[in-house]
Amino acid sequence: MQHTLGTLLLLVSMYIKSQMEYRGAFWLDRLAQIVSYGAVLLGMWILLQKFDLLGGWNWPELALLFSFQLLAYALGASASFTQLRDLEDLVRLGTLDALLTKPINTWAYLIFSGLNIGYAGHIILAIPVLVWALLAAQVQWSLFTAMFFAASLISAMLVTGAVITMIGATAMIWVRSNHLFSIFFGFWELTRYPLNIFPGGIQAVMLTIVPLGYISAVPVAVLLDKPVPLLGDFAWLAALLAGPVLTLIAIAHWRYAMSRYQGAGG
Amino acid sequence: MTPLIEARGVSKRFRQHKRFPGLLGAFKTLVTTEYTEVTAVNDISFDIAAGEAVGYLGPNGAGKSTMIKMMTGILVPSDGTLSVLGRTPHLERMANARQIGVVFGQRSQLWWDLPLIDSFTLHQRIYDIPLTRYQDNLKRFSELLDLKPFLDRAVRQLSLGQRMRAEIVMSLLHDPKILFLDEPTIGLDVVAKDAVRRFLAEINRERGVTIILTTHDLQDIETICPRLIMVDHAKLIFDGQLGKLRSALGSARRLTLEFATDPGPVVLSTATLTNDDGLIKHYLLEREEVSLVQILSEVGSTRDLKDVALHEPNIEEVIRTFYQRRNTASATTP
Repeated sequence: MQHTLGTLLLLVSMYIKSQMEYRGAFWLDRLAQIVSYGAVLLGMWILLQKFDLLGGWNWPELALLFSFQLLAYALGASASFTQLRDLEDLVRLGTLDALLTKPINTWAYLIFSGLNIGYAGHIILAIPVLVWALLAAQVQWSLFTAMFFAASLISAMLVTGAVITMIGATAMIWVRSNHLFSIFFGFWELTRYPLNIFPGGIQAVMLTIVPLGYISAVPVAVLLDKPVPLLGDFAWLAALLAGPVLTLIAIAHWRYAMSRYQGAGG
Repeated sequence: MTPLIEARGVSKRFRQHKRFPGLLGAFKTLVTTEYTEVTAVNDISFDIAAGEAVGYLGPNGAGKSTMIKMMTGILVPSDGTLSVLGRTPHLERMANARQIGVVFGQRSQLWWDLPLIDSFTLHQRIYDIPLTRYQDNLKRFSELLDLKPFLDRAVRQLSLGQRMRAEIVMSLLHDPKILFLDEPTIGLDVVAKDAVRRFLAEINRERGVTIILTTHDLQDIETICPRLIMVDHAKLIFDGQLGKLRSALGSARRLTLEFATDPGPVVLSTATLTNDDGLIKHYLLEREEVSLVQILSEVGSTRDLKDVALHEPNIEEVIRTFYQRRNTASATTP
């Protein structure tokens, strides 16, 4: 166990070291991320200056939703997105074959050899906004809400990582998976807004087939004691269980995809 | 002695959706539910003992890489049984991984942006190689393949030949019992090829590492592998010592007789005349047992024979003749 942990930490440090080979580009990229997500936040603020409420949510509440989503996504995606997006190339070019001949868990190798510190930009923007929004929004703090906040954030990270893992793993069956990532990001952008502003069909999809509602809309609504469509009183439980349950499904899916792997030829 | 690798009737079939030609066909390909089955490896059996060096040879698409991938546990055979180091490779991939080394000629396992030594350090950690053993191996192999001058250089700055030498060294750091190499000399220049070949032959001889090597390059096999397994169209067509390939595939030797004065047509029972240039005559020796002494005694001492040359076909010629003959045969088959 200690040996495996040491190996994984070495992988992380090697990845960071290789990223630092292009230091200038790295920091420029982070700045670009902060500016681009900052612009989205600014857009929401401008909108709220006109309408005061969006689906019954005021500006600090929407800022809480935005920052919770950004933080949960950044933490979950740093441990999954670029690695699994690139799995398609590893399959297509045959690099995955070489990885499969190593005495190390393939998923762990992939994840830790690409643990993406590039999400620093998201986190640098999300944390101050989150702290401000938690103070400004009317959260009824108690031991339960405090524990719920921490646990639902972890669950949201797991949802992100699990959904990305499931999408990425399909590359081992179909060689290509990036079209599914486009669908993922289409729905992901909707998770910056309260669930109740969408038609019932989209709400149902976001709580079942594309379960991204659990990344932000469900947990933040519970935290603010707002009604959650379709889930009602079970929303808090669903928010907490979504991460672990989807993680188990993702593990099963990953194993299935590995067993179906046929290479890309050559 | 139990063989290290045992293949019994191994086959691998891939299912692919049917592809249709033309623009309309492209749309049809998108929605078709028709599948075709491609057989990459068809009923192949062989045993490989510890310490052997085996060349696995065949044209593009003959199923060489697929066989390597099955032996290393990456792919699951469709039929037959495969045992490597006493284990079924795809079921015990991780256990086997510790005792095998794998080099894919066109797929680097090195960290592109980091100094070469970092990739080796990671390898030491992943394979849990005792530090002294790792250092000894690294020192020895680096000397043999002259890696020292660029151990601290970023991999992206290395030449293809330097990278391949590094890949091979890395694959041996954990003292594997078997080394699988898939096209290790592809794209290398003559000097790099030679260095790699000599190194592999030495590792096989000195350390007893079993080598399985797929290649297009016959020189690789002549230098490294006394035994050759040849595949074509997914099937095994030859398995044996390299020296026996000629007789197995029926390639003829060529004979040239040079006379001081033109003796006119010289017909021999031991050889077939293929070209008559007057002073110089060319023959084909189709029968293995015919010796040069027999030929010379048939030519006789009365003719003014100036020089004799007997050409053993090299392995490349033997194989080329074999494929040409096969293609002609398939072209004439209705």
